[in-house]
Amino acid sequence: MSAPAPQDAPPLLAVDNLEVLYSRVILALKGVNLQVAKSGCTALLGPNGAGKSTTLKAISGMLSVEDGEVSSGGIQFAGDSVVDRDAQRMVASGVVHVVEGRKVLRHMTVEQNLVVGGHLRPSLTEVRRGLDQVYQTIPRLAALRTRTSGYLSGGEQQLMLIGRAMMANPRLLLIDEPSLGLAPMMIEEIFALLGHLRAKGMSLLIVEQNAQAALGLADHGYVLEGGRVVLEGTATQLKANEDIQEFYLGHQAGGERRNYREIKHYRRRKRWLG
Amino acid sequence: MMDFLNYAINGLLLGQVYALLALGFVVIYRASKVFNFAQGELMLLGAYTVWSLSLGANLPPWLAIPVAFVAALAYGWLIERLFFSRLVGESVFSMVMVTIGLVILIRGVVLVIWGAADRQFPALLPTMPVIVGEVILPTSMLIGAGITLALTLSLWYFFNRTRAGLALTAVAEDPCTAISLGIAVKRAVTLAWMLGACIATIGAVILLNGRSLNVLSADVALAALPVALLAGLESIGGLMLAGAIVGIIQSLVAAYIDPKLGGSASSIVPFVFMLFILVVRPTGLFGWRNIERV
Ligand SMILES: Nc1ncnc2c1ncn2[C@@H]1O[C@H](COP(=O)(O)OP(=O)(O)OP(=O)(O)O)[C@@H](O)[C@H]1O
Ligand SMILES: [Mg+2]
Repeated sequence: MSAPAPQDAPPLLAVDNLEVLYSRVILALKGVNLQVAKSGCTALLGPNGAGKSTTLKAISGMLSVEDGEVSSGGIQFAGDSVVDRDAQRMVASGVVHVVEGRKVLRHMTVEQNLVVGGHLRPSLTEVRRGLDQVYQTIPRLAALRTRTSGYLSGGEQQLMLIGRAMMANPRLLLIDEPSLGLAPMMIEEIFALLGHLRAKGMSLLIVEQNAQAALGLADHGYVLEGGRVVLEGTATQLKANEDIQEFYLGHQAGGERRNYREIKHYRRRKRWLG
Repeated sequence: MMDFLNYAINGLLLGQVYALLALGFVVIYRASKVFNFAQGELMLLGAYTVWSLSLGANLPPWLAIPVAFVAALAYGWLIERLFFSRLVGESVFSMVMVTIGLVILIRGVVLVIWGAADRQFPALLPTMPVIVGEVILPTSMLIGAGITLALTLSLWYFFNRTRAGLALTAVAEDPCTAISLGIAVKRAVTLAWMLGACIATIGAVILLNGRSLNVLSADVALAALPVALLAGLESIGGLMLAGAIVGIIQSLVAAYIDPKLGGSASSIVPFVFMLFILVVRPTGLFGWRNIERV
């Protein structure tokens, strides 16, 4: 694992007390704070409906598509306040969001998807260079170039989505549940790829249900629940945390506290896994 | 036999003009999922503009036509800005209702500005037919078919092979994903309306060449709807084939069935076709079928 950035270096992304409203009435985030270090990797965990995807959308400027808005708080990217930037400007500033639900452009080929991902590149030569780079990094995609992306397997689609994001040359990649519905081997491949990108200097903010995989790669993590951060720490701290172990890593909590915790956990389990 | 060939070939050429009109329709549909019922009215605006420029302002055709195209781009831009950009986030249904409103609005504007009387549309293309053996071909329609072919090929190339075009295809496929990739979706929609209006004007020049022009001239564009549906609403490459099918059948019905019925069965042919397609194969010949992987 590459060395985390020194503590005093300013983070690449800093989300500060973020509140998000949908349709002017639904408060989905109630003051979220989180950071991603330069060339760092941050994992965002939490149960369904916690607000993980909403956090990513707020950062990438995708809220307006769903009638959502940042009602208070700040988002700093590379030292600039980016709260008011729309998705188009965010992509241009180097933040790319791979949204949840494997949104391939289904009727287009793999290569067409990639070219669309690189539509902001200044010249055709640059697009070609990007394609070469993607095919080199993800050799499987080279063999699938001319295939209609809608017919790829889930894992192939996920690889393509990461390749498509690479075409935009992001400094920060926001990726929402890349492991969803994939077999363990494929999850490993995806995270190895993400690790490779990170080693090349890309910063990552990963939303995941698969804490094992996410905390394996991340240097820092946050657990979101009900629109608030309920737990945060380094990946090592989180991996050692009992709640995380029990709810995300499938370990048994040990010892005589078992009984007392069971009641509390049962309640939380329902919420976390709900 | 010779008659049959004559009818079939003329039907084929007519079908290509339908395909041309449908092209404008498809370009708008792809970008905004709006089924633009006012495509014929866009053609009408273009036609009257050409008429004013060439017969009113006495510009030579080589000047009048490009100026009319620029005007058409402006109409497309204005219509999108005035109506559709305000409806962003509203249902597609309400946008389609707006296009029906546009039908009435544009016809009204045309009546106010140019009046209800028939106008003689200028013959900007040669009116002498080309005669090959015993087949008589109207020159303007031949040129029209050529233009349809050229435009189809260039648009197909643009949407499938160029970066800017692929970005627009992404908008057609999934606007939300396109936004997440940093594509300017609103600009894409504006561009589509500009292009749609311009293509409608090209259609006017070919179809109305040397004929009379009035508000009802817009009706011909209705025949382009079935062509677009038959091709599959997203398909650009399929339009020429779909146009050929609709045009040839219409022409043959006009030649052999209309006289027997003493009516114009031919004019309803495209619409019978449309109902048939909608029932049997709603995605047309080449449209985007829903790809569902489970
Ligand atoms: N477009 C929307 N309009 C209204 N409410 C929304 C919208 N999107 C999300 N919400 C609400 O905001 C809250 C957070 O949703 P979000 O999608 O961010 O959760 P999540 O943590 O990504 O969950 P999951 O793990 O299921 O993807 C939920 O209560 C959800 O119902
Ligand atoms: Mg989510």
